[in-house]
Amino acid sequence: MAKQLAFYFDASACTGCKACAMACKDKNNLPVGINWRKVFDYGGGGWIQHPAHPEFMIPNNVFVYSTSTACMHCEKPLCAEACPAKAIFKRDDGVVLIDKDLCIGCRYCEWACPYGAPQFNEELGVMTKCDFCQDYLAQGQNPACVDQCPQRALGFGELDELRQMYGNINAIEPLPSSDISHPAIVITPHKHSQPSGQGTGRIIKLPEV
Amino acid sequence: MLRELALIAFTILAQMSVGAFLVLGVVKFFVARKAGQEEADRMGDRSLIAIIIVLGLGMLASLWHLGNPLSAPRAVTNFATSWLSREILAGVVFAVLGLLYAVLQWFKLGPIILRNIIGWLAGLVGIVLVLCMAMVYMLPTQPAWNNLATPISFFTTTLLLGVLAMGAAYVANYAYLKKKNPGCADQQCELLRNVLRWIAVVAVILLGIEFVLIPVYLVSLATGSPQAVESAKLIAGPLGLTFLFRMILAFLGAGVFGFFLYQNAQSAGREKVLSYMAYAAFILVFVAEVLGRFIFYSSQVGITL
Repeated sequence: MAKQLAFYFDASACTGCKACAMACKDKNNLPVGINWRKVFDYGGGGWIQHPAHPEFMIPNNVFVYSTSTACMHCEKPLCAEACPAKAIFKRDDGVVLIDKDLCIGCRYCEWACPYGAPQFNEELGVMTKCDFCQDYLAQGQNPACVDQCPQRALGFGELDELRQMYGNINAIEPLPSSDISHPAIVITPHKHSQPSGQGTGRIIKLPEV
Repeated sequence: MLRELALIAFTILAQMSVGAFLVLGVVKFFVARKAGQEEADRMGDRSLIAIIIVLGLGMLASLWHLGNPLSAPRAVTNFATSWLSREILAGVVFAVLGLLYAVLQWFKLGPIILRNIIGWLAGLVGIVLVLCMAMVYMLPTQPAWNNLATPISFFTTTLLLGVLAMGAAYVANYAYLKKKNPGCADQQCELLRNVLRWIAVVAVILLGIEFVLIPVYLVSLATGSPQAVESAKLIAGPLGLTFLFRMILAFLGAGVFGFFLYQNAQSAGREKVLSYMAYAAFILVFVAEVLGRFIFYSSQVGITL
């Protein structure tokens, strides 16, 4: 098997605090509007009338859980296939990178990616995305998001080893089906996690300060 | 928004020039058999200038949507996997062959058979270009685009704009000929009326294809994936009025004016009316297709986080 670096995400441990997203933003000095790592809160369920007291409502199957996402460094990177300028490439260790000197800023990869990973930097006129903190990796350090998580819900390693340890789940709502691009991600689901494509909930966007 | 305008301009203008080039070739083929090569050239060759200019404007507009326009030439390097690279490559080859044909034809350089081969080759590359344009949008992450409606509608637009643009070009060319040399106009007048009748018939048929395709497409969106349903809601909701205008203008242009064009081309002596009809049909359909392409981009809801 070819080497394939991958993220691990433990949805059962994640509290949705977004420290990972902030660590990423801080480390990579990302401008407003660009977030290489994002956390999505997904929830559903409803309320039913109390059988004896119809004036009261009781919660029914109400659930919410959080999913931390970044570039999945896919085994079949649609962004790299789509890029007309050969600016996106897969490194030997499986990390998908954008060469910003080659990028022409056509934003076609943005349409091709199912995870919203490549994001356009207006100021530079090129696409940018998670590079797995390649400089940290080279120094033997962990990616910023992994180290910052207070719940230890994020990890990384060889995809095969992660799968042996944690199983094969790579698509829970609200992530898209893994058939599209074979993402290099291993997920431990939350107890309420629903498989991709079979969700009954929705992404919940609460206003943030 | 600016980026989408650039893409609308590029796709519409490039498709129009491919369509016009193909129509020019087919008309020329039949006119040459009927009235000789010289009359055929006299009828069509001036429109080559317009076709090249339209294509050039379209390709210029495409640069506008790049974050880094100066490095545009690199966009052809990944033709092994990227349909966008293939599209640009096909566009450049079409432009070069089309320009070569226009120059050879204009100055009557080289044997006619060679010119014709280059012309048909350019037409073939033009068809490949429109196919590549459709494939660019057929991404697994874009349900509103990733279906047969994309190539069918791109080719319908290509041919509809192609025939009506050439209709306008032929009447303009006729007016020019008549002003310059009133004596020569008789045979050209006859040819013009013949061609305009065919153009009207083809335009009405293409309109029919659009009017079947669009409802089928909307139903398939409305019954498709969650993202496709969102696209259908956009077309029915915020884009509804634009959509209605697009349909009405296409019907008026290709249907109503197409019908009158056919009627008025039956007998001689109505060239003035004919030219107004041809211009009006072209302008109305052009606006309709631009609105249609605007809806195409604006109703996109991708599978993405």
